[in-house]
Amino acid sequence: MTETILEEKKIDEKWEPKIIAFLCNWCSYAGADLAGVSRIQYPPNIRIVRVPCSGRVNPYFIIKSLVDGWDGVVVSGCHPGDCHYISGNLVARRRFAILKELLEFFGIEPGRVNFMWASAAEGERFAVLIRKVTKIVKELGPNTKFQKEWC
Amino acid sequence: MDQKILKKDQIGKLYNELVGEYDFYAPINKKGNIAFEKIENPEDIVLDYLNSKIPPKSVLFPQNEVLFEYTLDEKDVEITDRQDLEQKILIFGIRPCDAYSFELFANFFSFHGDWKDDIYLKKKENTTLIGIGCNTPRTTCFCTSVNGNPFKKDNMDVFLTDLGDTYLVEGISDKGKGMVQKLSWLSDASKDDLKKAEELAKIAEESITTKIDVDTVVKNLETCFEHPVWDEISESCIGCGSCAYFCPTCTCFDVIDETDHYNNRGRRIRIWDTCQSCLYTLETSGHNPRDTKIQRCRNRIMHKFSYYPTNYDLLGCVGCGRCVYVCPANNDLRVILDKINKIEEKEDEKVVA
Amino acid sequence: MGIETDNKEIISSIRENAKWLLSENQVDVIIGYSEGTVPLSSTPIIIRKEEDVDKLIWNNLCYINLARYLAPLMPQLCDSEGNSLKIGIVAKGCVGRAVNLLAVEKQVNLDNIKMIGFNCNGIVNRSKIDLEIGEKEILDVSISGDDIIVKGHDWEKKFPYDQYINELCKVCQIKSPSATDANCVGECQELESIHDEFSDIAEFESKSADEKWAYIKDALQVCTLCYSCRQACPMCYCNLCFVDQNMPTWFGKTTQFTDIFTFHLIRAQHLAGRCVACGACSSVCPVGIDLNIITRKLEKIAKERFDYTSGLNAETIPPMMDFKMEDEEEFMLEED
Repeated sequence: MTETILEEKKIDEKWEPKIIAFLCNWCSYAGADLAGVSRIQYPPNIRIVRVPCSGRVNPYFIIKSLVDGWDGVVVSGCHPGDCHYISGNLVARRRFAILKELLEFFGIEPGRVNFMWASAAEGERFAVLIRKVTKIVKELGPNTKFQKEWC
Repeated sequence: MDQKILKKDQIGKLYNELVGEYDFYAPINKKGNIAFEKIENPEDIVLDYLNSKIPPKSVLFPQNEVLFEYTLDEKDVEITDRQDLEQKILIFGIRPCDAYSFELFANFFSFHGDWKDDIYLKKKENTTLIGIGCNTPRTTCFCTSVNGNPFKKDNMDVFLTDLGDTYLVEGISDKGKGMVQKLSWLSDASKDDLKKAEELAKIAEESITTKIDVDTVVKNLETCFEHPVWDEISESCIGCGSCAYFCPTCTCFDVIDETDHYNNRGRRIRIWDTCQSCLYTLETSGHNPRDTKIQRCRNRIMHKFSYYPTNYDLLGCVGCGRCVYVCPANNDLRVILDKINKIEEKEDEKVVA
Repeated sequence: MGIETDNKEIISSIRENAKWLLSENQVDVIIGYSEGTVPLSSTPIIIRKEEDVDKLIWNNLCYINLARYLAPLMPQLCDSEGNSLKIGIVAKGCVGRAVNLLAVEKQVNLDNIKMIGFNCNGIVNRSKIDLEIGEKEILDVSISGDDIIVKGHDWEKKFPYDQYINELCKVCQIKSPSATDANCVGECQELESIHDEFSDIAEFESKSADEKWAYIKDALQVCTLCYSCRQACPMCYCNLCFVDQNMPTWFGKTTQFTDIFTFHLIRAQHLAGRCVACGACSSVCPVGIDLNIITRKLEKIAKERFDYTSGLNAETIPPMMDFKMEDEEEFMLEED
């Protein structure tokens, strides 16, 4: 699968996707930290942006990332019920549901924008999910549909 | 002789001869809307049209236009100005009202001679206009009320008249006459052709049904700034700005900067703006002199029929009628001007008749 | 019954109710539709006197959603102190939905609004007819029996009514306002919910991502970002729209496809659970873009995910103003 897309789009085999990750400060960011401290390897493709809560993540951030040329977006927060601000992640969950459905409806590949829950104690889970996301985005190839052209 | 005949099946030949030297713009059908675009295939050219949805100002004053680009390195900013302004442009098949609108643009872009917009003016210098007369004006057209005519040739370089199977080709300006001479394969026009063209011009002028007394409008606008008629006029307006975007004489623009910070470069772009936008007059202090719809609707009419005559001795409207059929709320300009005409002074009171 | 006959009844019912409301002083002004000055259009009008009720019409070309004039409230609808007047509003089903939803979002006070309800029989699809007629001037559009008759200088064309109304009108289930007698005179109904399979967009949804993208790109390419769709939408009443925001500037305003696409995508996101499917956005578009599949998708998301249909009453909280612990999260990434 990877070979066909890369061949089709004539992309260098060494191409690596750039994925932006919005991690909530209290759970997911701490989880990523734990993965690092525990020396659990996960792909270096993600660039992390720390937010106080997944509820802070505005769909604008996600869309702007795609417009700026990021190949993939990950938003990660606390599990429902564990939000530091009680219900921030519940508010976010509805937002993400709608955004994901709309993006898919408009023809953006579903794998480009991903949402997940990862707690502060789940370093291994965080790494596993990031590995999964990187694999998905690598198979989709570079983000050419959405990126703003400079002409 | 300056009058020649171009057969309708020779348009492709005309295109092929001129495309080497000029960027050839002509009307095409874009999903049901006629717009002036650069032609790659002469089969796309549509000349049998009423008038374009998107006005031909989009050729010389595009909806987004890069003013300059810049790149950044450690210490310096390097600015690159536009490099393509010497390119010759040909606008083919433009209507007389739209050709006249370029005259109004010249006023705006060389504001009283103090400051000149090089980008627009250079492009205009390098532009040739080949226009076509309107055999069947729309019922919404009122060019004859604003010093125009469906067969006005003054602002064209070359003028075509649709005679049925052929076009009568007339060189108007020196540039146009030179171009017609260069197209030596065009056949000569006969006396009958010229007679037919004159008849068509007469029929077209007589078929314009909308007549507006613009002189009274200009006069009344001088004194009715605070009149309650504006409440009524702006009632149904939804404040979208379609009237400005589709108007061939509207020139307002916004300037935005776009940056590609991952690649250390950026550019400054100008985009169409509209006085109907609620943010148009928003100042940095937060104050907005025109923060109600009534004021914005009033501004548009005043600009075209009062400020323009005062400042430039010209009307800011060419009578193309696009604002009339494009307005989503059917806020008909003709009805508005009629309401203004009916304002009568009754001693010290101003009442709508 | 023919559409033409229905229209005559609707017009007389609107005028009767309008006259009654004004004479009983239940309203100070009535917002309705009047005859347009160009074919395929109608002009919204505000009347204040009983003798003007004959200006009110209904002709299947009344595509503007009149609730658009309620938020933000125009000075023409306020008294000298800036308080809202008592407003009567000629309400087809989707106008009623918008009024209810604006009340939930606290943009209007239903105590000030009286809807003049009637059973809407659809809006003619302007851009579809324009496209079929092409570059010939349309001089007159009328309904005769069950046909739309379009006339020019020396030609005439007939279109079957039920095929040439807006796509949204073809599947509409809320033809008269869903409101109580307290807020509505004329035809009203009290709907608790509606049932919808959304089979009209099933075909589109089954396409591949690339096919969907190609369709959307083709549809939106001519967009000139005039914002008529946003201005005509009754639910787009923000003082500062996201595209106009400039500290920070989120999205470009050029007509490069990415900017056009992000405007429509984010506007759809902001209307999730709030769109009232009136189709005004498509009808007002000056270049004839049809946004009906986006509207239907928004309705589908609201119905299937949150069991919500907007504007059926003035009490139910819309999905984006609420959250539940049990919300579905099948779209979340999980370990294999």
